[in-house]
Formats: sequence, structure tokens, C-alpha cells
Amino acid sequence: MTAYLPPLVIDVRVREPGSRGFRIWLPLFLLWPPLLLLLMPVVVITLLVDLALLVSGARYHHYTLLVLNSLRLLAEVRGTHVDALSDGSLVKVDIY
Amino acid sequence: MSEDRTRILGMLAEGKITAEEAELLLDSIGTPAGETGTGPEPSPSAEWPSGPSGTGTPKFMYIKVTGKDTVDVKVPLGLLRAGLKLTSLIPPQAMDQISESMGEHGMSIDLNNLKPEDIEELIGSLREMEINVRSADGDHIRVFCA
Repeated sequence: MTAYLPPLVIDVRVREPGSRGFRIWLPLFLLWPPLLLLLMPVVVITLLVDLALLVSGARYHHYTLLVLNSLRLLAEVRGTHVDALSDGSLVKVDIY
Repeated sequence: MSEDRTRILGMLAEGKITAEEAELLLDSIGTPAGETGTGPEPSPSAEWPSGPSGTGTPKFMYIKVTGKDTVDVKVPLGLLRAGLKLTSLIPPQAMDQISESMGEHGMSIDLNNLKPEDIEELIGSLREMEINVRSADGDHIRVFCA
């Protein structure tokens, strides 16, 4: 199930010469509950479409899998790390 | 001494940054072996593997750029796996359009022929891949999976 867990937090750290820098935690987990509510009817619709396509004999009937695998793609973003140092400025981005 | 540390100390010597800023930057890029670190958050890139794993299934793709600027990127290979699996679920009409568009941009890859077992083989073989690019202006780009 964790394979479908979307990114929960983006941690951004910025340090510049002449300043103490700052750190922001972007709480992505706040986005997911409302989006989940939107997703549920989408999955129901795609299931109905797939069923109709299957009954009609269409070769392609994978819209539900397409939606679920898109979520999987989103979940796999977790663990990404970007670290950039330029002219003394440091930017770090971690996706958890 | 690493290139990053040399650059930071150089900036300190030139007066571009203060001693406090230099300390923060040194902390952020990690502590070299043999020294005791006092920084609160050593850079994850300091703990990254130095090259391809050679054995086992790689978990991450590492992209390291050194030179004028330093950039370290770690991307989960699960993202590549999920992306490639997603291509096998794209409706055929859309897939034809994508292949055509990719062909127009010089990437003649027929994604319709990509099978799940090919994806695993592709990712498995990435453990031996290493790309090294050295540009004329001194930038060094390394890409490998481990």
C-alpha cells in the first residue's frame, strides 16, 4: 500500500551568502485528502468505462489501471533529492 | 580536500563570504573522512555512493555536476520503472501520437514494443552504466545508478 503513498512533504532549504537562509516544509499531505475525494468518482467512472469497453470487445480497456499507475508514478517521486551550490548559495530540496 | 570545500575556502579567503557563512556551507556539504563533524546536517550527497553499484538492482540514479556550480540530484529508479509501466497502459491512439512526436524530435523509440520484462532488464542493466562528461569550461557531469 505504501507503494501508492504520495509525497507527503517537500523540504526546501536555502542558504545565501550574507543571510542565515531559510527552510520551508511544504505540507503536501494537506492536498491529498481533497484530491482523494475527487479521485474516487474518477476511479468509479473509469471502472464503468473499462467494463463497457470490455463488454463491447474493445482491445483497450485499461483506463482504471492508467489512473492507478499515474498515482504510483506520483508516489515514486518520494526520495528525490536535489542539492545545488552556486556562487555560495545553497539550495536543497528533499521530497519525502 | 574536495572541490566544494576548496571553493568555499577560496570564497572565504577572497572575502566573498563571512567565516560564519563558510562554516554553514562546509557543514552542508558534509565532513570528509577523518574529520569530526560538528554541523547539524551533513549533505546527503556526502553519503552517496561514489560510482555504480555493480551488483544487485540499483535503487537510485545519481547525477553529479561539478565545476563552476555544483549540483547533486538523486532520483529513485522506481520513478523510471513506474513511468515505463505507465507507457504500456496509454491508449494505442495516444501512444502512436507520442511515438510520432518523439520521432519528429529525433527519438525514434517505439514504446509500444516495451514489455514489463524489458523494463526490469533495462533497470537491472543500469547498475553497470556510468556516464562521464567533461565540458570545455571545466564542468564535469557524472550519471550512474546504485
